[in-house]
Amino acid sequence: MNIYIYDDYLNKSKYNRILNRVEIRLTDLGLNGKIIRLGAIKNIRDVIQNEIKNGAKTIVAVGNNQTVNKVIGSVIDNELYGFFQKNILFSIIPIGEDNSIANSLGIKKEEEACNILLARRVKKIDIGIVNNYYFLNKATIPSQESILEIDGEYTLEPQEKGIIDIFNLKSSANDDKLLKVNPIDGKLDVYIKDKNKDLTFVSASKLKITNSKFPLVLDDIIEIKTPADINVVSGKLNVIVGKDRSFE
Amino acid sequence: MFNKDNKPEKFKDAETIIGASIKVKGNFHGQGNIVIEGQLEGSLKTEANLFVGEKAKIVANIEADDAIINGEIRGSLKIHQYLALGPNAKIIGDISYSEISIEKGAIINGQVIYVSNNNKVTRKISEENTSENEIKNE
Repeated sequence: MNIYIYDDYLNKSKYNRILNRVEIRLTDLGLNGKIIRLGAIKNIRDVIQNEIKNGAKTIVAVGNNQTVNKVIGSVIDNELYGFFQKNILFSIIPIGEDNSIANSLGIKKEEEACNILLARRVKKIDIGIVNNYYFLNKATIPSQESILEIDGEYTLEPQEKGIIDIFNLKSSANDDKLLKVNPIDGKLDVYIKDKNKDLTFVSASKLKITNSKFPLVLDDIIEIKTPADINVVSGKLNVIVGKDRSFE
Repeated sequence: MFNKDNKPEKFKDAETIIGASIKVKGNFHGQGNIVIEGQLEGSLKTEANLFVGEKAKIVANIEADDAIINGEIRGSLKIHQYLALGPNAKIIGDISYSEISIEKGAIINGQVIYVSNNNKVTRKISEENTSENEIKNE
C-alpha cells in the first residue's frame, strides 16, 4: 500500500490543479493509496509508523525539500519496527519550488514522478545525521570561525571567509562540475570554497564541527547549534529514483 | 603533463585537496592523490601521489609514492618512487627517494638518500624465499 504525505502548503488554491493532475495520473497507473495531510496531525512519526505497522510499503512525500525532511525521520527512525524499516520504500512527488532533493534523485516533474513511482527503480542511499536530525542533501555553515574535526584524525581551520558544504547527495541546484558527490559510498563530501574561490575537498565518515557564531543548516531548512557531531549512515534509505539522477 | 596552474594533469581528480586558505592539524592518512596548497602540521601519508603547491607550508613527516613539491616542508620526506622539486621548493629535513629531479632555485637542508627500487624488490624476495636470493642480493 502507498501512503502519500501532503505538506500543508499544498492546501493553497494555486496547487489544486497540479494535485488533481497528479491524483488522476496515480489512479490511471493503479498507484492509489492513502493520503495523509501534515497539517491535520500532530505527531507525524507515530502516524507513519502506524501505517507501516498496518502494511504500508511505500511512503511518498508530496511537496518540497521541507516535506522530505519531515518525512524521512519518521520512515527510518524506529526501534520497535526495525524489521519493517528494511523493506519500506521512500519516494517524492515534487510540487512547487525548493525541490533540489527530488531533482538529485532524478525526479523533476509532478506527473513524471508518478511514472517513476511505477517503474520502482530502487537505490539504497546514505543519510546524514547531525545530533538527532537527518539530512539527505547537505549541511552548510559559513567558514569564518568554523573548525572541522575529520574522522577524529585531524582538523581543518579555514583562515578566510567562505562557505563549508557537507554533501551527502549532489543537488542539481549546485551545478558545479567539480563536485564529486556519491550518496552510496558511505561517506560525506566536504567542500570549502573561500572568497578567492580556492577549493578544499575531503571525504569523511564522521565529522565534528564547532562555530561560536553561526549555526549549521541542514537541507536549507533546519538550523542546529554547534558543536555538532555529523555522521553518515550507509545505505539506510531505500529510495525510488529516476534515470536522470545525479549518481550511478 | 602540466596544466596552466603548473599542477600535473594526474592530480585533477585528487581524492583530497587542501586549499590555500586552510590550516590542517593532525595525522593525515589517505589512499588517493593529495593536493596541498595550504598549511599542514602533523603527519602526512598516502599510498598514491602528492602535490605541494607554491603557497603551501608544511611542518610534518611525509610519505608518498610520487611527489611534486613546490612549497615549504619542514620534516622528513620519504618518497617511494619519483620526487620532483620545483623552483620554489624548500625542504628542511631528510629526503629519501628512488628517482629525483631538482629545478634551479630549490632549497634542500638535510640528507638526501637514494633508495633503489631494485634493492627493495630484491630485499622483499629474500625475505620471502630461501638463502639463494639472499646471495643474489649481495
